[in-house]
Amino acid sequence: MSSFRELLFGKKSAEDAKSRLQFVLIHDRAEISPGLFEEIRNDIIMAISNRLNIDPSYISINMDEESGERRLLVDVPLKNSRRPTATRSTNN
Amino acid sequence: MDSVVITITSGKGGVGKTTTTANIGTALALLGKKVVIADADIGLRNLDIVLGLENRIVYDSVDFIEGRCKLRQALIRDKRAGELYLLPAAQTRDKTAIKPQQMVDMINELRDEFHYILIDSPAGIEQGFQTAIAPADRVIVIINPEVSSVRDADRVIGLVEAHQKGPAMLIVNRIDSARVKKKDMLSVEDITEILSSQVIGIVPEDEEILSSTNRGQPVVLNSKGSAAQAYRDIARRIVGESVPLTMPSTGSFWQKLFGRA
Ligand SMILES: Nc1ncnc2c1ncn2[C@@H]1O[C@H](COP(=O)(O)OP(=O)(O)O)[C@@H](O)[C@H]1O
Ligand SMILES: [Mg+2]
Repeated sequence: MSSFRELLFGKKSAEDAKSRLQFVLIHDRAEISPGLFEEIRNDIIMAISNRLNIDPSYISINMDEESGERRLLVDVPLKNSRRPTATRSTNN
Repeated sequence: MDSVVITITSGKGGVGKTTTTANIGTALALLGKKVVIADADIGLRNLDIVLGLENRIVYDSVDFIEGRCKLRQALIRDKRAGELYLLPAAQTRDKTAIKPQQMVDMINELRDEFHYILIDSPAGIEQGFQTAIAPADRVIVIINPEVSSVRDADRVIGLVEAHQKGPAMLIVNRIDSARVKKKDMLSVEDITEILSSQVIGIVPEDEEILSSTNRGQPVVLNSKGSAAQAYRDIARRIVGESVPLTMPSTGSFWQKLFGRA
């Protein structure tokens, strides 16, 4: 939906261009495609949820770049009860 | 002579490498420098026609590499701009006709005699690009304010660094200040932030480029327009003058008339 402002002044497409470029260049530079990134993300969620009681929908995993340094930022909010009782014994 | 070899490249085709090379080369010669502009786009040569020198070519760089002429014989003097010479590319060969080391040796032969040697690179990041940057002391990357050009430029900037030729400098070409103002086009600030590289020139979209190219007369030869001024400013920055970077007004008649630019 375009707002009245957009209809009047045109859409601010430069903002879309900038954010899309910033996203795609982080992947280009790290040579991690969005598809591979998705796989890594699923692996991380799997590895953590095997041992900890987490809600996968609250996990955020992002690539970030600041002054030439690339990072993978993983943010996993923990639920109150620490261990999933069912799955833990399956490991070890 | 203290010569400087500058390769003009971009990754993406059609962004203005040839136009920029022709105009900056001419502008440097008009500043009194001895200049060679070398076409490295073998098989798709265009510098000759953009400069209006297409009828004067006898030998080209591949003829020299393969021993059919002396380097001097391949150089075509452009008398309109003092000591300006074109080193044309072969039109009927491909990018593999000159190897990177041969390019280095050929350009080195010119270093004694010229202040500036500008090399117009082909599009792409394959051998032609690698040959074009091999002799470079500095690399300029031309960018248009649109996503695919900026993305390709990022790749090229990385490759330039990987070849120990960095940091690349940017020229943002075909910018339309009215659209930037409406936030409908990436601004120079957006592009520098995204690519974290230094900008040495901002060239506006300018109708004069087409008409001057039609005639084979680089705009810097005789125009007071905004693109011509932008190229002259770049040439002055290259020779070491400090010329502030300003956002040029867009060169269209209507925009000038209504003062939108
Ligand atoms: N600043 C500009 N304003 C308007 N047209 C331009 C500008 N710069 C380049 N062009 C046009 O864009 C097209 C591609 O330019 P060219 O220099 O041949 O690009 P490249 O060498 O990168 O393929 C040409 O038609 C040229 O006239
Ligand atoms: Mg070209």
